[in-house]
Amino acid sequence: MLLLEAGRSQDTGKILHSMEWPYDHPRRGKMPPEYHALTNEYTIRQSPYAQNSPYKNVQSYVQSWGGTDYTKTLVVNEKEHPYTGTRYAWVRARAVGGKTNIWGRLALRLSDYDFKAKDRDGFGENWPISYADIEPYYDKVDLYLGVSGHPENLPYLPDSKFQRPVKLNYAEMHLRETLKGMGRVLTPYRAGVTTDGLKHNKYRSRCYGRGACSRHVGGCDIHAAFDSPTGLIRPAMDTGNLTLRTNATVYEVTVDKNTGKAAGVSFLDSETRKSYQAKGKTVILAASTLESARLLLLSKSSAHPNGIGNSSGHVGHNFCEHVMGPSVAGFMKDLVAKPRTLDDGRPGGFYLARFRNLDKRSDFLRGYGFEGGSGTGMIPGPAYTTPGFGEEYKKHVRDYAGATVSMGAFGEVLARYENYVGIDPKVKDAFGIPVLRFSYRFGENERKMAADMAVAAREMFEAAKFEVVSTSDEMLPEGWSIHEMGTARMGSDPKTSVVNQFQQSHDVKNLLVVDGSTHVSASCQNPTWTIMALCWRSCDHLAELLKKGEV
Amino acid sequence: MDRREVLKLAGGAFACLQLPAAEPGAPLFFTAAEFALLDKLTELIIPADGHSPGAHEAGVAAYIDRTVAEAYVPDEKTSWRKGLAAIQRLLKESGDQPAAVLTKLAASEKDPKTEAEKFFTQLKETTAFAYYSSSLGIHQEMGYLGNVLLPEFKGYEAN
Repeated sequence: MLLLEAGRSQDTGKILHSMEWPYDHPRRGKMPPEYHALTNEYTIRQSPYAQNSPYKNVQSYVQSWGGTDYTKTLVVNEKEHPYTGTRYAWVRARAVGGKTNIWGRLALRLSDYDFKAKDRDGFGENWPISYADIEPYYDKVDLYLGVSGHPENLPYLPDSKFQRPVKLNYAEMHLRETLKGMGRVLTPYRAGVTTDGLKHNKYRSRCYGRGACSRHVGGCDIHAAFDSPTGLIRPAMDTGNLTLRTNATVYEVTVDKNTGKAAGVSFLDSETRKSYQAKGKTVILAASTLESARLLLLSKSSAHPNGIGNSSGHVGHNFCEHVMGPSVAGFMKDLVAKPRTLDDGRPGGFYLARFRNLDKRSDFLRGYGFEGGSGTGMIPGPAYTTPGFGEEYKKHVRDYAGATVSMGAFGEVLARYENYVGIDPKVKDAFGIPVLRFSYRFGENERKMAADMAVAAREMFEAAKFEVVSTSDEMLPEGWSIHEMGTARMGSDPKTSVVNQFQQSHDVKNLLVVDGSTHVSASCQNPTWTIMALCWRSCDHLAELLKKGEV
Repeated sequence: MDRREVLKLAGGAFACLQLPAAEPGAPLFFTAAEFALLDKLTELIIPADGHSPGAHEAGVAAYIDRTVAEAYVPDEKTSWRKGLAAIQRLLKESGDQPAAVLTKLAASEKDPKTEAEKFFTQLKETTAFAYYSSSLGIHQEMGYLGNVLLPEFKGYEAN
């Protein structure tokens, strides 16, 4: 096996400094002055957002959070990696392990409410698999990588093989009890974090509740949170069967002229810019949803004039994700001015499972869930939301920090053919590779859903007798959730889908795509665990085919 | 950790020194008069009270001075200089009543319009970050208990 990675290998165990106090860092954890993170540029400018920026290194919006100096080498410089078209906040990491080095850790399963959603509401396409097909692979991923959570026995949010759950604090427990009365389920954050440890993986520690995941952009320097370098790649290399080639920017899947099959890939050395060829019996793309689509579209040949694997014309289309932004923040009166408690020593607060369109129908399709939590982190949230100044302000921040409760929604964006990415005919990246052009917008369903999210959020806080300080019904720019999916969807009909249920190209049998691009619909549940379960299933199938000589 | 803070804490529990504990000299970017105004304004925003010292002791002005001094884009520097000048003008008009000036500016902090109003929101946000990320802010003022190796989170088991 040869694994090609566009970025460098970076040891997050060394660069993240998860426990460094801000005052021990010369810039309190912030990036050097020549670095800049995009924020409102997505709204006030046209892409490419970093074009003509006076800064040397421009990074996506996640780098405007805390501790950004530690993650600045993991995410791309937008100046080298432009894209064009409609508004989109695209977050990309180029390093071994990619975005798994800094992901949000929420490890959820999908259910037949997602896989067979068309049967329920008539929209879009069903997945070519059902929950029963993927369930054993979710189990394997859980046991191999570790996931923490509390079983709830919900048909629309199936339980995992959980390790020790994250505990709830007082306000969260109170909200859980309140929501029970409304038939809704708030459960401890289902974190892709090993809380009990993993005997079979010497690279990963159990979680020690240091609270670092919420202080920084993301990442875990003891690898209690799953990241693919320590969770998957190093163990795979230890088998002796895997070669890792870093700094390998793949720009084309090459084709065997005689058979029309994939012959390998062409790549540039990211540093020397020299061109290389890698040959293989099978080619598996896992470059992330949008980069995999870009690669398929770039790989044009006489056998595949629309790009390899694209006889259906669906590559780049049916692009979907999660809409976020609507949120509520407030505080629990009982907790105001109480002695300080340790609130952030865990990989997450809570997850509130979807409740719309399960039995009754709303005026929009599909569902949304909330992520949230209560209490204070190292830097108190009310420091930025408390009005005024002086002694009163200072006391308010001190007294209310531990009493805060907030949550934000993540909702399913419908997979629609008319939302797509294609290749820009003119603009190229720093390597001379044509870039993606976005043609992607939220639609009416997302707008209706967002309005409902804000109303429901307030209702639930009011039911819990929380004092609501603010609500928002505003959708953040497209892309904000970093959950892009759907640009090479699975299906049984080669005319309307790109890959089959084993993520194998309908057109080119020895070409697989194993990232979020194959998801048929976005669900409202985070995609990471499903990406891995599907990949495992597809690789098992591929191994069978290779044994039988059927690739 | 900035130099002023280092001096305060040297020998204390948080003496993780990165910069030499030298006597602080002239500000790196601001003039002495600008720095004195900045120091005064930040202390007004987060003052010493019965609970803990304020922005002055936490070295907030020195942190801002250092940040602005190394800013890469000239606009980031001039905005601070212009903002302080705008406040200085208001101070003069008010007969040197800084608390009254800030009260007026804070009244429109949700939707700042004038240069001074916009500068106030920037100053307040930066002061808050600099104060609450300082050793004094994290430990003494907030009594933050985290960033430790925690065998078990104290909380409630979902049932």
